[in-house]
Amino acid sequence: MALRPRLNVRIIPLAAAVLLLAFLPLIGMPQSWLLYAFLFFIYLAMANMWNLLAGYSGLISLCQPAFLGLAGYTLAIGTWVGIPWWAGLLGGALVAALFALVISIPVFRLSGIYFAIGTLVVPEALRMVFYLWRPVGGQMQGGGAGYMVKGIGGVSTNMTYWLAFVIGIGSIFLMRRVLRSRLGLGLAAIHDNERTAASCGVSVFKLKLCTFVISAVVTGLAGGVYYLYQGYIEPSATFNVRWTMTLLLATVIGGIRSEEGPLIGSIVVVFLYFLLARYAGYSLLIQGIILIGIMLASPQGIVGIFRRSRYYRYLTRSVSA
Amino acid sequence: MDSGDIITPLVMGILLGGLYALIALGLSMVFGVMRLINLAHGDLVVLGSYAGYGLMTLLGLDPIVGLLISIPLMFALGFAIQKYLMGRAFAISSEAPLIIAFGISLVIQNANQILWTPLSRALNTSYSNLSFSIGERQFPLTYLLDFMAGIIIMLALREFLTRTYLGRAITAASQDNKAAQLMGINTKRVYGYAFAIAMMSAAVAGVFLGMTFPFTPTSGVSFLTIAFGTVIIGGLGSMLGTFIGGIILGIVQTLGGHFLGSASQMLIVYVIVLVILSVRPQGLFGR
Repeated sequence: MALRPRLNVRIIPLAAAVLLLAFLPLIGMPQSWLLYAFLFFIYLAMANMWNLLAGYSGLISLCQPAFLGLAGYTLAIGTWVGIPWWAGLLGGALVAALFALVISIPVFRLSGIYFAIGTLVVPEALRMVFYLWRPVGGQMQGGGAGYMVKGIGGVSTNMTYWLAFVIGIGSIFLMRRVLRSRLGLGLAAIHDNERTAASCGVSVFKLKLCTFVISAVVTGLAGGVYYLYQGYIEPSATFNVRWTMTLLLATVIGGIRSEEGPLIGSIVVVFLYFLLARYAGYSLLIQGIILIGIMLASPQGIVGIFRRSRYYRYLTRSVSA
Repeated sequence: MDSGDIITPLVMGILLGGLYALIALGLSMVFGVMRLINLAHGDLVVLGSYAGYGLMTLLGLDPIVGLLISIPLMFALGFAIQKYLMGRAFAISSEAPLIIAFGISLVIQNANQILWTPLSRALNTSYSNLSFSIGERQFPLTYLLDFMAGIIIMLALREFLTRTYLGRAITAASQDNKAAQLMGINTKRVYGYAFAIAMMSAAVAGVFLGMTFPFTPTSGVSFLTIAFGTVIIGGLGSMLGTFIGGIILGIVQTLGGHFLGSASQMLIVYVIVLVILSVRPQGLFGR
C-alpha cells in the first residue's frame, strides 16, 4: 500500500465534488439544500458502518439506533450538567463503544439470523428504558425522557454541516483503511470460509468484535452530530426501526459489500426523502417496496448494474487501486 | 391491590402464556422448516388483528367468526409471499431473506397505518368484559379463550405434522431438504404450505391478541419479541417446547408487572430474552 498517490485525471471530478460539498454553506445555497447534504453525510457515515458489519463481517446488526441514540442522549444530557457539546459528542461515541462491548456479551453468542433478532431487541429495550428513566431535569408532563440540547446557541448550522461533512467523508476513508488493513484481510478470509480462516489463526471473534465497536463509534459520532443539529431528542423517534430501515436501504440500494455502494445508496435515500417528503405516510411503505424490489431484481444494488458498464469501471479503477 | 396475592398474577401469566405460544407457533414453524427467522411475523400477527377489526366494523362479524374469512385470505397471502418473495430470496444469498422479511414487515406496518390510522384499536365484543372465577378470584374470560385457542392450535398443528401426508412432507423437508427431494417431495411447494400455515396461525393469534390487548400498526415489533422470546425459551421447532416457553414468559411478565409495576412489563420481557440469549442461545429446552 506504499504507492504514492499520483495526481490522476480521473480523480478530478470526484475531488471537485468533494470540494463543492465542503464549501456548500459559503456559496449561498438555500437552507433546504444544506439540510439534504447534511442528511446525506449522516446517512453515508452510518450506512458505511452498516455495510462494514453486514456486508463485510456477516453481522446483520439491527441495533444501530441504539448506538446513535445513546450517543445523542449522552450529548443532550451532558449539556444539562454543564459538559460542553464537543465533549458530549466524543463522550457519546465512547458510550456507544462501551455499550457495543456490553451487548456483545449476549449477541455475539448468536450467529446469522439469531444475531439479527438479538440485536433487534436492543433498541426496543432502550426505548423503554428512556421512557421510564429520566436522569436529570425533573419530571416532564406525560413522562418520557425528551431533552433539549442546551446551550448550543453558539453552534451555527454551518458548524454542524462541516462536522457531518468530516464524519461522512471520513467514514469513506476509514472504510478504505479498514478493509486494506489486517482487520479487513481477516474479514475477507472469514467471509470466504470461516472455519479455514479460524484454523489459519484468524481470531474470528476478536475481528468481529472490533468491527462492531468501530461501527458503534462512528455511528455514535454521526448520531451525536445529528442530534446537535436537531437540538432535541426523545425516545420513540430515536430508538426507532426507521433508522435501521434507512441504513439498510442506503446500503442495499447502493450495493451491499461494495465500497461505493453506501455512497450511491445514500444519495438515492436522500433523494427519496426529498421526493417523498410530501407523502409522509407513504414514504416508508414505498421504501419497503423499493427495498424488496432491489433485493430481488439486483442483489448487488445499483453498483451491480453500474459494474456492467465500461465507463463506470474506467472511473472506479483509479479510486480502487 | 393486595400485593401479597401472588396467585392472581400467576394464573394470569399461565393463561397469557397460551396466547404467547399461539403467537410464536408460526414463527417456530417457519424457522423449523426454512431456517428463517421471519422478521415480519409480528406484523403479520397484527395484520390478523386488523383483519378481525375490519370484518367486525365493516360487516359486523364477531372476530372469531371472522376467522372463517381471514384464515383463507392469510393462507393465500402466505403462499404468495413464500412463492414470489422468500423462495427467490433464498436463491440469492443467506442474508437476502432476512432483508426481504424486514421489507415486508415495513410494508405491512405502513399499509396498516394508512388503512387504519395510527390510533390504538381493540377487538371489543359482547363477551370481552365478562369474567370467570376460580375460588374467590376473578379473571377475564378472554384470557381463558386465549389459553384454549393456544392449546387447540398447538395440538392441531402437532397432529397435522405427524399424521397427514403434507405434514409429514413438511417435517421431512425440514429434517433433510435433499433427501426429501429424492423421495419425490416438491420442497418448494412444501415451503409454500409451511409459510401459509404459519400465516393461518398468525391470523388466529392476531384475533385473540386483539381481544386481549389494544394494538397499533407498530405493535408488530413487540409481538415479534414476545414470539422470539417464547421460541428461545422453548427451543426452536418444537411445538410443545414453544407452549411451555409461552407460559414461562407469560408468568415472568405478569409477576414482573406485579412486583415492579405494569410500566416495566415489556422491559422485563426484553431483558429476559437477552439474558437467556447470553446464557443459553439454543433455548432452555433446545438441543
